[in-house]
Amino acid sequence: MNRSVHTIAAVVLMTAAAPSAVAQEAAQEIRIVLPEQPANLEPCGTIITNVGQILSQNVVESLTVIDPVTGQPQPKLATEWTSVDPTTWRIKLREGVKFQDGTELNADAVAFSINRMISGKLTCSNIAKFGDAKLTLTPVDDLTVEIKSDRPEPIMPTLLSVVMIVSPKTPVDQAVNDPVGTGPFTLSTFSPQTVVLDAFDGYWGKKPEITKATYVWRPESSIRAAMVETGEADLTPSIAIQDASNPETDFAYLNSETTAIRIDAAEPPLDDLRVRKALNLAIDWEGLAQLFGDDVKRASQMVVSGINGHDDALEPWPYDPEEAKKLIEEARTAGVAVDTEIKLIGRNGIYPNGAEAMEAMMTMWQDAGLNVKLTMLDVADWLRYLQKPFPPERGPNLLQMMHDNNKGDAAFTVPIFYRSSGSYSTLADPAFDKEIDAALAATGEARTNSFKAIFGKARNEVVADIPMFHMIGYTRVGTRLEWKPDITTNSEIPLANIAIKKD
Amino acid sequence: MITYLGRRAFHSILSVIGLLTLVFFLTRLTGDPSALYLPLDSTAEARAAFARLNGLDQPIYWQFLDYLRDLLQLDFGESLRQNRSAMQVALEAFPETLKLAAVAITLSTALAILVGSLAAARPGSMFDRVASFVSLAGASAPDFWVAIVGILVFAVGLGLLPTSGTGTWAHWIMPVFVLMLRPFGLLVQVVRGTMLSALASPYIKTARAKGLPRQKIIFGHALRNSLLPVVTVAGDLATSLVNGAVVVESIFGWPGIGKLMIDSIIQRDFAVVQSTILVTATAIFILNIAIDLLYAVLDPRIRY
Repeated sequence: MNRSVHTIAAVVLMTAAAPSAVAQEAAQEIRIVLPEQPANLEPCGTIITNVGQILSQNVVESLTVIDPVTGQPQPKLATEWTSVDPTTWRIKLREGVKFQDGTELNADAVAFSINRMISGKLTCSNIAKFGDAKLTLTPVDDLTVEIKSDRPEPIMPTLLSVVMIVSPKTPVDQAVNDPVGTGPFTLSTFSPQTVVLDAFDGYWGKKPEITKATYVWRPESSIRAAMVETGEADLTPSIAIQDASNPETDFAYLNSETTAIRIDAAEPPLDDLRVRKALNLAIDWEGLAQLFGDDVKRASQMVVSGINGHDDALEPWPYDPEEAKKLIEEARTAGVAVDTEIKLIGRNGIYPNGAEAMEAMMTMWQDAGLNVKLTMLDVADWLRYLQKPFPPERGPNLLQMMHDNNKGDAAFTVPIFYRSSGSYSTLADPAFDKEIDAALAATGEARTNSFKAIFGKARNEVVADIPMFHMIGYTRVGTRLEWKPDITTNSEIPLANIAIKKD
Repeated sequence: MITYLGRRAFHSILSVIGLLTLVFFLTRLTGDPSALYLPLDSTAEARAAFARLNGLDQPIYWQFLDYLRDLLQLDFGESLRQNRSAMQVALEAFPETLKLAAVAITLSTALAILVGSLAAARPGSMFDRVASFVSLAGASAPDFWVAIVGILVFAVGLGLLPTSGTGTWAHWIMPVFVLMLRPFGLLVQVVRGTMLSALASPYIKTARAKGLPRQKIIFGHALRNSLLPVVTVAGDLATSLVNGAVVVESIFGWPGIGKLMIDSIIQRDFAVVQSTILVTATAIFILNIAIDLLYAVLDPRIRY
């Protein structure tokens, strides 16, 4: 017995005497804790959050970057761009840029990177932003390249922000985990536990203050928050609202995500405009917002402010339960089968408190007189309802969704949601299709106004969906760093934007 | 003995083949991986290209024949997520789980034998009551709760231990402690029960009558005869730990095979699911054979 007590006491003493777990990182080295392990480090997948947050603008760079405030493309590896004709863009490249393997950046290297993306020989998520456009690359001179599309592509400079330029020595026919780009950091280590980036001495631009970044991942939000609190990590880009409890280190920011419910306008009784309006009016939006925190912003359209085409003047639907009931009764009197069961399809884990929001909305719609029943699905089953071809005999349904557009232009939203051929669209309105096609082909102010008009029509005349909230992300940043998240944080964390606080 | 080992190995190989066949078809029933690997706005053409690149456009029986052919050449396929050999991914994760499981099960068994024996030696004493309470609490406490509270107290509050990760011996303390709780709790109860019955046996009375020292009676005579059920339960617990400790691996960021397996199932990374199951199934079969051999060591009446 005495021996046991001594053993336990020894273990406790050894624990107390253990070296502090808080790693004493060198002053300019930082440690970032991500929610997920990056599946791979293929530069063609930087639109995937856990890949982009490590690689984008750190190891690999794009031809353009999107200004988080204006949504407009800004120079990066491309310094100028001009539209030669509606289908052709001429891109001027930055001079004196070298890849981390010593190769020069030139027109051939850019053509190589884009051809690699579109080759179909490897899985490339980024190419999805180009839709089904067919691109042809022609080097004009050493630092000029022409990009021709098989259809007018007025936002080509914006699209080029997802084209990551890789060394021409990168394999064409296989995805890689050791990317070589032109960024200010080189990949040093990629293991199942960590990714390490080291500063690249030959970087063409201003040298970042950070010299080394180590990425680790923990799925639990509370653990990520604890790691920053204890100094084991300097930054985590995402924590849950309940863990954002320290005003000194935790920042709320409007990310690029918009939550909404898609109304299946092809199926009665949802094909009736009065019913669709009633669905929007029946929700106590103020009450519902409490599920998502004080900083959440009510949405009137599917893109956030800062995206070309967002209309600040468009008002969100108000809460008016009496009007909702009235509209439903009007529809009933007109012979609409408002008692038909409507399936509300939620997705497990789509965003924090997503299931609770669906339960609350179902109850509010039931109170308004609609027969709504909630079904929560896992992502694979939910996708069947989101994308065409929809399941046969799907019946009237409302679909919970969240849309992320931080690419600067409503073209990444409107055709998918509202054009008859759009993969999420339940609409079939040739006149609306024409307006959308015209907006996609327009440029400048005409383009902005056309998209504003489309969002206005989608809200007021078609009532295609139920926009809910522009979502808020929470980050925790250690006290020794100066860094603020913005709309792009979901897709990239440029280390060059992080500074060490001066004592 | 050799015949026995050969027979067990043959049965194990048959079981692994059956298991892999079942897993192959069951994973394919979960749906099309392109829905998870490509952005939601990908074109139908891109989805078709993805299926073609990964051989998913072939009829399922053809995919199975391809899989068997590759298996014979020790080619276990490529991970869809990680762009590298699925077996390499599984073999990197498995030793991490194995180390954690070995330490946790060894410590919990040793500690449970000590505590259970001492509790049985003085039934109804304060030590017995405390041991019973602690072991029952340990067996029933949810591991994720203990893990998070442990982190809040020892890492955030007291700053004594790291929150998570690997690297130093201090990183082992909390994961091992959390993993030990349940096996320790169950094994204390098993040891106490079997020891109580052993200590009431005539041969123990004889030993006492002969004036043997108390320690020798408990640990030399009663314990040895009580160990078979303990080995059975400890073996069963070890098997479940070798299969992966998903909660502990997730919370403490331990790069083990349990979390890898769950992630691969969710992500429909078929080749990795198959490889992790092949690795863990093989380990479990080896473990079971080792437990059988241990029976023979502990009980001379058992012969193979």
